[in-house]
Amino acid sequence: MKYGFYSGCSYGSAAGYSESVDAVSRALGIELVEISDWNCCGATAFFSVNEFKALALAARNFALAQAHGLKEIVTICNACYTTFRKANQILTDNPKKLSRINAVLAQEGLSIEGSIAVRHYLDVLYNDLPADVWARKRPNNLKDYTVAGYYGCQLTRPWGDIDVPEHPMILERFIERLGFNFVEHSATTLCCGAFHAVSYAKECRPLISRIIREVHLKGADMVAAVCPLCQFNLDAGQQMFGLHPVPVPFFTQLAGIALGMKPADLGLKKLLVPLRGV
Amino acid sequence: MDEVDLKYDFFEKAHAGKILRCIQCGTCSASCPLTDQMDHAPRELFALIRDGDIITALRSNTLWYCVSCYYCIVRCPQEIPVTDLIYSLKQMAVQRGLSPAYHKLPDMYHSFTQVVARYGRIHEPLLMARYALRHPMDALGSIPLAMRMLKKGRLDFFPSRLSQPDRVSRLLAEVKRQEKE
Repeated sequence: MKYGFYSGCSYGSAAGYSESVDAVSRALGIELVEISDWNCCGATAFFSVNEFKALALAARNFALAQAHGLKEIVTICNACYTTFRKANQILTDNPKKLSRINAVLAQEGLSIEGSIAVRHYLDVLYNDLPADVWARKRPNNLKDYTVAGYYGCQLTRPWGDIDVPEHPMILERFIERLGFNFVEHSATTLCCGAFHAVSYAKECRPLISRIIREVHLKGADMVAAVCPLCQFNLDAGQQMFGLHPVPVPFFTQLAGIALGMKPADLGLKKLLVPLRGV
Repeated sequence: MDEVDLKYDFFEKAHAGKILRCIQCGTCSASCPLTDQMDHAPRELFALIRDGDIITALRSNTLWYCVSCYYCIVRCPQEIPVTDLIYSLKQMAVQRGLSPAYHKLPDMYHSFTQVVARYGRIHEPLLMARYALRHPMDALGSIPLAMRMLKKGRLDFFPSRLSQPDRVSRLLAEVKRQEKE
């Protein structure tokens, strides 16, 4: 299985995300081909100030992927995911905007043709692999751990196609498939404050504590994250705001544990709130 | 400022005519995670615009407290793309210098776009360094956390670069050039 891979700017500093994505992909024979010379997706910042620039940044990545014959782009970040899908949708719906963007890309000898499929790595692991790949080397104590899923915002919303926007279950089904126990809770798709948590930490505190308190009350031993910024806000926010500590590993780190990998190979030491015992 | 121009940009270019369907139910405002910080929560923002006061809407801090969680879009019973229209208002406010000077997000976005224009990618320490020029307290407050990240081997001193780092700055310069045409 071969996919175009867009790692994005937060991948390197995220707590063990790259280590675990690499390890899991290698073990399962998933080939992630990095889009060479990629640039920032533009995120919420560029769409907030200038749509033309936002589209150009996203489109350059699409064009690079297409130039290398890649028809799908897999992301590991909710913000990259939604930014790309949004740009792709605008360009697909507006031939005029597409030709303006191609005129700009032309200076680098690039262009985009047609629409590009944008996917999240969770979607790949859940939907493209048979359910039994996780059972081969699974440690037998995983059922002792209760995991709460946390989707954040820009994976199911505004799209509602990977799963329903407000009560998705794909992550819980994935956690269950890995062999962990999961718990449902009311904060799975609430907002973590995203980028605002830097400038308005005090104002975002209720958002983060609402999520951490809820998973703690529901008896979760840990929270599975699917986005570097969500993971960072939930992990770093706990100490900053003096909340009850709950580890926040990435779903790929849990996938690595289910595949029998060692914590050191999954970058688990990089979590701020340590994950012990597993 | 010509209000007719502003309304033309919003209703025609940004296809905002959908707000005429708004039934003022307030589901958007009630679903918004930072609504308590806003001077005019989304329902009110659209009421203002329909009432003819687009300038107050463009100066509103609501645009800059929007975190793009997209709850309002998926819940709106009239299928108004609230978040997308707020993006259009933000772009208009920036273009015309109407974003509120006291709000920190326009500065944050400005720092963000500058780092991307220069390096092509975001490098967190550089982003914080630029942002610190305007909001030193926020940046100072993030130092203990940065130290912990450093200890965990999660901070690079140098940004990761494109093979030719000026590719993105040239792309954005080309956008600017064609925008003027």
